[in-house]
Amino acid sequence: MTGERPLGLVLLEMILLVLIGPLVTGVIQKLKARLQCRAGADILQPYRDLAKLFRKGTVQADTTSGFFRSIPVLVLAATVAAGALVPVLRAGPPAFPLGDALMLLGLLALARFLTAVGALDAGGAFGGMGASREMTIAPLVEPVLMMVVFSTAMAAGTTELGALAAHRGTSWIFAWRAADFLAFAALLVLLPAETGRIPVDNPDTHLELTMLHEGMLLEHSGPGLGCMVLASHTRQIVTLGLGAALFFPIGPTDGPGVMGLAVGAGAFAGKILALVIYLALVESSYAKLRLFRVPQYLGVGFVCALTALALRIL
Amino acid sequence: MPKLPRPGAEQNRCAQYNAPDRLRGCTSSERGNPNRGFRTAFITRSELPAGPGRWRTCPPPDVGVSAPSQELLLAGVLLMSACYGIGALSCLLAPWSGRLALGVGHLAALAGGLAGLGVSVAILLGDPGQTLAVPLPDLFPFARLSLVVDSLAAFFVLVISLVAIAAALYGPAYLRAHSPDAAPARQAAQALGLNVFIACMVFVCCAGDALTFLLCWEGMTLASYLLVVSEDRHGENAHAGLLYMVMTHGGTALLLVAFLSLTERAGAFDFTALRAAAGNLDGVTRTTLFFLAFGGFAAKAGAIPLHVWLPRAHPAAPSHVSALMSGVMLKVAIYGMLRFGFDLLAPAAAPLPSSWGWTVLFVGTISAVLGVLYALQQHDLKRLLAFHSVENIGIILIGVGLAMILWRREGAGGALATVALTAALLHIANHAAFKGLLFLAAGSVLARTHVRNMEDLGGLARRMPWTAGLFLLGAVAISALPPLNGFVSEWLTFQALLGGAGHFHGPAGLGIVFSAPMLALTGGLAAACFAKAFGVTFLGRARTPEAEHATEAPPSMIAGMVWLAVLCVALGVAPGYAIRLLDAPTAALLQGPGASAVVTARGPLVLSTALTTSGMDATAISMTMMAALLIALTGVAWVLRRGLRRASQRSAPTWTCGMSPTARFDYTATAFAKPLRLVFAALYRPRREVIRETAGTPYVFRRIHYAGEVVDLAETQIYHRVQRGITALSRSIRARSTGRIYGYIGFVLGALFVTLLLFGVGQR
Repeated sequence: MTGERPLGLVLLEMILLVLIGPLVTGVIQKLKARLQCRAGADILQPYRDLAKLFRKGTVQADTTSGFFRSIPVLVLAATVAAGALVPVLRAGPPAFPLGDALMLLGLLALARFLTAVGALDAGGAFGGMGASREMTIAPLVEPVLMMVVFSTAMAAGTTELGALAAHRGTSWIFAWRAADFLAFAALLVLLPAETGRIPVDNPDTHLELTMLHEGMLLEHSGPGLGCMVLASHTRQIVTLGLGAALFFPIGPTDGPGVMGLAVGAGAFAGKILALVIYLALVESSYAKLRLFRVPQYLGVGFVCALTALALRIL
Repeated sequence: MPKLPRPGAEQNRCAQYNAPDRLRGCTSSERGNPNRGFRTAFITRSELPAGPGRWRTCPPPDVGVSAPSQELLLAGVLLMSACYGIGALSCLLAPWSGRLALGVGHLAALAGGLAGLGVSVAILLGDPGQTLAVPLPDLFPFARLSLVVDSLAAFFVLVISLVAIAAALYGPAYLRAHSPDAAPARQAAQALGLNVFIACMVFVCCAGDALTFLLCWEGMTLASYLLVVSEDRHGENAHAGLLYMVMTHGGTALLLVAFLSLTERAGAFDFTALRAAAGNLDGVTRTTLFFLAFGGFAAKAGAIPLHVWLPRAHPAAPSHVSALMSGVMLKVAIYGMLRFGFDLLAPAAAPLPSSWGWTVLFVGTISAVLGVLYALQQHDLKRLLAFHSVENIGIILIGVGLAMILWRREGAGGALATVALTAALLHIANHAAFKGLLFLAAGSVLARTHVRNMEDLGGLARRMPWTAGLFLLGAVAISALPPLNGFVSEWLTFQALLGGAGHFHGPAGLGIVFSAPMLALTGGLAAACFAKAFGVTFLGRARTPEAEHATEAPPSMIAGMVWLAVLCVALGVAPGYAIRLLDAPTAALLQGPGASAVVTARGPLVLSTALTTSGMDATAISMTMMAALLIALTGVAWVLRRGLRRASQRSAPTWTCGMSPTARFDYTATAFAKPLRLVFAALYRPRREVIRETAGTPYVFRRIHYAGEVVDLAETQIYHRVQRGITALSRSIRARSTGRIYGYIGFVLGALFVTLLLFGVGQR
C-alpha cells in the first residue's frame, strides 16, 4: 500500500486545491444561506469576486514601507506551498521528499506571521487590532494541532501525510479507537479556529471589534487583496485536507491509472463535503465568542487532544 | 598505540562510526608518555558492536578533502591565539589614538575569527577520532595546562568564530555611532575586553584540563563584565554588571566544587585523569557532582530560575558584545554541560541515570515557555531579545535532556539520542546566527536613534531599509518558520520528541510528549512577539523626532549583519551540509552513528529520521525542495499580482474612520501584547495602577494615570524572598552588635567552646 506519488501528481494536486478552494467557500456560503432561509449567492460567486479584484486598481496607504507590496505574494506562495503537502488523489509519500505535517503547519504559520506584519505596516488601529488578536489565537491553536498530528503520527510511525494516509489504509476507518475519536473531536474544535469561522472569527463582518482575519486584510486592495483572499480560500481547503488525510484515508489508494485518480478525487470531494457541512452547521448554530472566551473554547480541544495522546502512549 | 580490532567483530569499512575506547594514557600530556612534548596524539577506536542494520549505511561520499596535517592545525591554533593576543595588546595604542586602538583590536579579532573558522572546519571534516593536543607552558607547579581540541570543541569554536567575525566587522562603526565622544581609556577597554572575551571563550572550549577550564571561564566572566559596564548610563549598567558578577560567581563556585571533588580523587587536573577517577564513583556521588555542575552551567546559560541577570546584563553591553554574549557565551555553558554529562561523569557502558536527563528536559521546557512569555511583555528591544535567549536555551536543553534520556537505551534509543543531540547542536549554531543578527540589527537602530523603547520608534523601515529587512529575516528565523534555519532544528527536536515518546510507554512517554506542544506554544508565542517587535519598531509612523530623523547604518555594520543573514539562509535551505559537520561531534560524544547517518541518510538535500525500527519508511523532508517550490510560487504569485494589464495605482492616507491620521492612531506595543497578557494572567500576575484625578465633582476627570507592570515571577517568588530572608538575618545579627567589648569576648569564647566540642571530640 505504499506506492509513491510522482512529482507531477503532487503539483497537480496543489493546483487542484488552489482551483477548488473558492468553490468550497461558495458551498459553505450557500449552505449557510439556506440554513438562514435565504436564497444566497451562487456557489461560483467567490470566483467572480476574485476576477473582479484582479481587474481593479490598487490604493496603497502612504505610510507603508517597501514590504507591503510583497506581503500578498509571499502569503499566497506560502499557503499554496502548504497545499503541495496534502495527499488529495492518491496516498503514499512523494517520489522526492517534500515536507510533512510539521512543515505544513510551519508554512501556514509563516503565512499568518507575514499577514500580521503587513497589517501593522499601514499604521492605524484596524490592522493593529486584527494582528494582535490573530497572534493571540494562533499560539493557542498550534499546540493543540500539534498534539492531534502527533497522536495520529504515533500510530502510523511517520509525520509525512502521504505515508501516514497510506499506512492507515481504507479498512482502518472501521478500526477507530478511543484515541482517534478524541483526536477527531479536538480537530473539530480547531477547524473553525484555523479557517477563521464562527465561533472564533466572523468572516463576513467589517466591524473593528469583531474582525480578526478581515482586519488584517483591510489595507490591501486590487490584485493584492485578490492574492490574500485566494490565500485564505486555499488555507481553508488545506486545513480540511489535513483533517481528511489524518482521519479519513479512504479512497486514495495506489490504484493504477485514471480510474484510481477518479476514485480518489470522488472520495476527497466526499470528505471535504462532510467537513463543509459541519462548518456550515456550526456557523449557523452558534454566535461568535468574545475574544477572551476563545482560550476556554480551545481548552476543550486541548483536553481532548491531550487525552488522545495519553491514550495512545499508555 | 592503536588497538587491534576484537576477533570476530564484523569489519566495517566505514571506520568513522566505531565506538571509542575509554582513553587510557594515549595523550601526550601524560607524565609517563615518552612522546611528551609538542607532538600530538591520535586516538583510535575499536569496532562498533552490531546494531540495527539501518545504521550500517555509509555516509555520503567525502568532499575530497584530505585530513590536514597536525602541524597545519597547530599553526592555525597558534595563529588564532596570536591574533587575539595582538587585539588585546592593541589597547596600549589608546594614548595615541583611541580610534586606532579600536580599529586594530577589531581587525585582530576578525583575523582570529577567520583563523578559528579554518581550524575548526578542518578538524570537523577530518577523522572523528582525531584530536589536537596543544600543551601549554608550565605556569603552575601542581598542574600541567593543556588544550585538547576534539571534534566537540571544534564545533563550538566554529560557532564562536562565526559570530566573532560578524561582531568584529560591526564593532568599530557601532561604537563610533553610539558613543562618538567616548574617552580613549574606554575605547581601550572595549578593544581589550572584546579580544580577551573571545579568546577565553575559545580556550574554555578547547581546555584539556580543569585548571585551564576554570581560569579561562573566569577570564571570560571578567572580560564580559568589563564590557557590560564599559558604557555607564546613570549607574544602571553598574547594577546590571554587579548582579551578573554575583550570579556567575555563584555558578562558578558550584563548578569549583564539582571539579575539585574530581581532581581530589584523581590526583591530577587533566580531563583524562578526571574521566578515569569518575569511573570509580558510586551513583549518588556521580549524580551529586552532575547536579552541582549543572547548576553552575545553568546559571551561566540563563536557564530559569537562574536567568535574572540575563535581561539586565545583555541590554547593558554594546550591541555586538550582546550578540556575542547571547549567541555564544551561553553556548559555552552548554558545552560544559555536554562535557560533564556525556564525557567526564558518564558511566563506562551503562545509560546515564534517569534523573539527569529528566531534570534537564524539565528545566528546558520551563525555560522555553516562561522565557518567551516574559519576552512578549518587554518594550525594550534588547531586553526582549535577552528573554528570547532564555527561551532558546530552553529549546537547546530540551534536545540535550532528550539525548541524555535516550542514550544507550536498547532498540532505537541510540539513534534517537543522536537525533536529539544533532537537534541541540544545530540549534546552538542556528541560535548564534539569528540571535546575533537580531542583536546587531537592534544595535543599529539604537546607534542611529539612541532610543531603546520601541514605543518611541516607528516608521524606521522607510528610513533604514537594510536594517529592517535583516531584522525581518532574523525574526522569521527565530520564530521557527520555514524555509529558514530555526525551523530545521525545531523539526529535528520534534522528531526526537515523537520518537522518544514512542520509545517509552507509560508516564515517562507522556512527560516527553508533553514537551512537544509546549515547544509548539513557544514557537507560536515567538512569532507573536516578533510580529509586535518588528511592527512597532519599523512599521507605521514615526512617533518621536529621533525616529523621524534616523538614517541607515554604516556599511560595515550592514556587512556584519549580512554575514549572519547569509548564514541563516544557508543553514535553512541546505542544512544537510551543516549536519555533515556535526558528524564528528555526535559520533565522538555518543559513541554511535554520526549525525549524517541518522539524519541525512538519503543525501544532503533530504532530512530523514526513522521514528521506529519496524521497517517503516522514514519521515523525510527536503528544505531545499521546499525553498525551490516557494521561490517558484513567489514568481507565479508576483506575476498574478501585477495583473494582465497595468492597473491603476495610487496612494492615499490610511483609513482612520474619516479623521486625519497621526502617529497616535498606531497600535502600541502594550496594546498588541495585552490580549496575551490577559490570557496568561495566572503566570504573569500583572500589576495595574490607575489613578484618577478629578476636578470638582467625582464625575469629571482632569487626568488619568495608568501604570502597568509585569514582574518576573522568579524574581518575586524566589529572589526577593531570599533577599528578605538574608536582610532579616543580617538585621538580627546586627542587633547583637551592641558595641560592648564584653559581649564580643563572650561570643568568641562561646564559639571556641563549640568548635572544640565538635572537632576536638573526634580526635580521640
